[in-house]
Amino acid sequence: MIKIEQLSKIYGQGDDQVVALEPLDQQINAGEFVSIIGPSGCGKSTLLRLIASLEDPTSGSVTLETANLKRPVGFVFQDAVLLPWKTVAENIRFPLDTTGVSRKQANEKVAELVELVGLKGFEKSLPKQLSGGMRQRAAIARALADDPPILLMDEPFSAVDLLTRETLNDELSRIWQKTGKTILLVTHSVEEAAYLGSRVMVMSPRPGRLKATYDVDLAQPRGEQTKRDPKFLDLVSELRTLMREMTS
Amino acid sequence: MKGRIKPVLEYSAALLVLLAAWWYVSGPMGMPAYLLPSPASVAELLWSMLMNGKLLPHLAFTMQNIVIGLVVGSVFGVLLAYAFFKTPALSDYLEGPLVVIQTAPKIALAPLIIIWFGLGLTAKIVLIFSLVFFPVFAGALAGFRSIDSRLHDLAQLMNLSRFQRFLRIDLPAALPGIFVGVKIGAIQALVGAILAEWMSGSDGLGYLMTFATATYKTPLLFGAVLLTAFLGLAMHAILNEIEARFLSWSTPNEH
Ligand SMILES: Nc1ncnc2c1ncn2[C@@H]1O[C@H](COP(=O)(O)OP(=O)(O)OP(=O)(O)O)[C@@H](O)[C@H]1O
Ligand SMILES: [Mg+2]
Repeated sequence: MIKIEQLSKIYGQGDDQVVALEPLDQQINAGEFVSIIGPSGCGKSTLLRLIASLEDPTSGSVTLETANLKRPVGFVFQDAVLLPWKTVAENIRFPLDTTGVSRKQANEKVAELVELVGLKGFEKSLPKQLSGGMRQRAAIARALADDPPILLMDEPFSAVDLLTRETLNDELSRIWQKTGKTILLVTHSVEEAAYLGSRVMVMSPRPGRLKATYDVDLAQPRGEQTKRDPKFLDLVSELRTLMREMTS
Repeated sequence: MKGRIKPVLEYSAALLVLLAAWWYVSGPMGMPAYLLPSPASVAELLWSMLMNGKLLPHLAFTMQNIVIGLVVGSVFGVLLAYAFFKTPALSDYLEGPLVVIQTAPKIALAPLIIIWFGLGLTAKIVLIFSLVFFPVFAGALAGFRSIDSRLHDLAQLMNLSRFQRFLRIDLPAALPGIFVGVKIGAIQALVGAILAEWMSGSDGLGYLMTFATATYKTPLLFGAVLLTAFLGLAMHAILNEIEARFLSWSTPNEH
């Protein structure tokens, strides 16, 4: 469970202050899949970074109930952050290498993940030899490597082509159902948000704050039939209207 | 591969031109041998010294000092740079003074080092160390400071221990900067090693030079100078090779 209490973030000081996030209260239960959408600059990345303790909050707190795990959170950054001197396979294995998992076990896990994200044949490539979308997929695989109970993903599919994106969406949905992870996914696509989430959080900019949340009442597992479901289409159009209001 | 053969060809061509000029001046042009011995006489001398075992010990001595000084100087340079990087208070107070000290020509300190550390090996290593240390320190500090901030995020997410963080993220990420310093340091190390041998002791290429000068053995002087130049070239080539092999990730892909 993720408990967010009066969480806010202000960057900078004096005249340069930017209110990235107004005080936010939210409780995310274990096993929820929360999609977060909102126009650029509304504090989505900031919220994820606060939850991952990558930023210190200006006020409030985030509590993760994860039984004191060393690494409770897997994070996929908005732009893939890979170690440029390591190959794809080594990058994916990195979380395992640093927790003393045996080499053999780690390699098996890596092979499985490489398959999952469709990077077979590129295991020995360096990040600089990959396209943006491939780097992003390697970063997703790394976030999954040590099986964290919470997965925070900041526009993980933005650089991925449409077809791969749909495959990865379905894989993510499947992983979520199978493992019961708590997932927060930031996306610019309202379809993606509705298709994947069990809840959608809509945020608005200047200052960044939570505008509305929607429970997504669509049957699991989701698939092609979901995309034709009137309930899905209604939700998507409602979200889209909301987004349009904010950006106009 | 093509990219590596070209510089070798260029080097060889330049050397051949120099050699031809040298041969011409010392032979057909008739420069006296005590000013400029012929290439053949120098080669002959080096060869005979190699055969009777009087050359390699000197060469080995100089190389050994360079390697020790370079390694120790680099290790300390990197560690101090990391301490500065991790403790901003330290760099606030000490960085200014260090830069000021650095601008003093350290070669001028050589006699002082001899007085402090004696005529033996220690003084030689200390001199080389003092020349290597700063460029590596400066390169490493720049390297650490230019680490992509997102890698710091990653380290924090991974909850790495301080040691893991240094070894697995900060050190490799700063390696391109460190290497810039090491390359400068290597040239300095050669200068320092020769200088130290000029001043004391009876080993090394630097000693051969002073000995040859004092006894008017010009061919020997030329031989020692040539070997020193070759040593410099060899170090340059080795470092380039290491760079090509281990730091290719940091250079943009050639498309
Ligand atoms: N390190 C920082 N220093 C100063 N201001 C920042 C910093 N990071 C973010 N901000 C500001 O905080 C606000 C929210 O930024 P954030 O990155 O969270 O937005 P976002 O919703 O993720 O946007 P996008 O969809 O473009 O990724 C923006 O106005 C941004 O300019
Ligand atoms: Mg963002």
